[in-house]
Amino acid sequence: MTRRDRRLLWLRHSVLMVISVVMLAPFYWVLKASITGENIYDYPPHLWPVRPNLFNFVDVWYLIPFPRYLLNSIIVSLIAVAGNLVLNAIAGYALTLPFIGRRSVIVLLLSCTLIPFQATIIPAYLITAHLGLLNSYLGLALPLLSTIVCIFVFKASFDAVPRSLIDAARIDGLGELRILLRVMLPLSTPAVATNVVLSFIWSWNNFLWPLIITRTQDMQTLPLGLARFLSYMEDTTAALYAFVVMVLAPGLLVFLMAQSAFMRGLTTGATKG
Amino acid sequence: MRWRRVLSSRFVIVPTVIAVTIVAWNVYVSLHDHGLLQGRVIDAAGHPVGGATVILFAHDFVTQVEKARTHTDAAGAFRFDDNDSHLVQLQAQDGGATSPRITIRLWFRAQDHVLQQPLRLAPAA
Repeated sequence: MTRRDRRLLWLRHSVLMVISVVMLAPFYWVLKASITGENIYDYPPHLWPVRPNLFNFVDVWYLIPFPRYLLNSIIVSLIAVAGNLVLNAIAGYALTLPFIGRRSVIVLLLSCTLIPFQATIIPAYLITAHLGLLNSYLGLALPLLSTIVCIFVFKASFDAVPRSLIDAARIDGLGELRILLRVMLPLSTPAVATNVVLSFIWSWNNFLWPLIITRTQDMQTLPLGLARFLSYMEDTTAALYAFVVMVLAPGLLVFLMAQSAFMRGLTTGATKG
Repeated sequence: MRWRRVLSSRFVIVPTVIAVTIVAWNVYVSLHDHGLLQGRVIDAAGHPVGGATVILFAHDFVTQVEKARTHTDAAGAFRFDDNDSHLVQLQAQDGGATSPRITIRLWFRAQDHVLQQPLRLAPAA
């Protein structure tokens, strides 16, 4: 490595560190506010936590039915993740197979990504009501059971699997479903991780849909609990930030556990030429 | 060999550690949630005060409301057996003397707790 290369490396890393600090500063401030009692508008602000404690988290746990919201969010997210893995994998595999109108289906799916969920929320509500799934876990997870972006993540990953491998599996007598289960999915763990992370985070953070279809407090999820908590408490209290941290933590944990596979899943097929 | 690889992956280890921590915490809670709150009341000179009234206030979302009262014994000791809150305040009164309200933050509801510092009565100003 030449002297110029080394200098460029230092420069690049310095810029990246500055960007990282800028990106992480709000998270740090929320975390700091959650473990101290200080008002976020205090002036001058303290850079480091003063007398940190975890009692604000205890307050959140007991002041509202947090365990119930947490359980609801976990159940809904697990249903969404399971639905995404099964339906998206099948759909993604189908799109790699030759059939009449395949191109039209792909174009139709891609054009559907342009329609915002808010525009289809009334039909979605009516369908859910007709199915008798209002105020139920399955109803809460229904719109996120399959997402077009994740179908194409699977499709890109399956396209990268050599055709010869699939042909060999067919010659060995495997049906399409078993090819998907035994050949495609084991070779597409990054796509699986990407599906898990995206569907979990989308479902975990979903606010509008649960707001519309839940009828009782017992079925509400964490984002709704956060809105309810905000209506009870001042927006500057440490307990509110403790709540925010408790809502964020599971999503962050899932992302951190699967981040390397997640990144690979997003870039699979990107350089296929 | 495959099972060993699966078991040692972070997708198994992290949830397992979380599950074990939750179970251990719940066992600890179930062993220490009798609602016992103990302490002592002393006068300005540091002598124990018998017969003083101790009031327990519990947090009611945004305010503190009185939940229970008890009296100290001859040694100045008091005890509440049925605290079901995680955020309480205690205040002692004896005649015209009162102690400042002290806030006690507990790690869980009805946690057994012994006050490290006694409630010190001070004559009313």
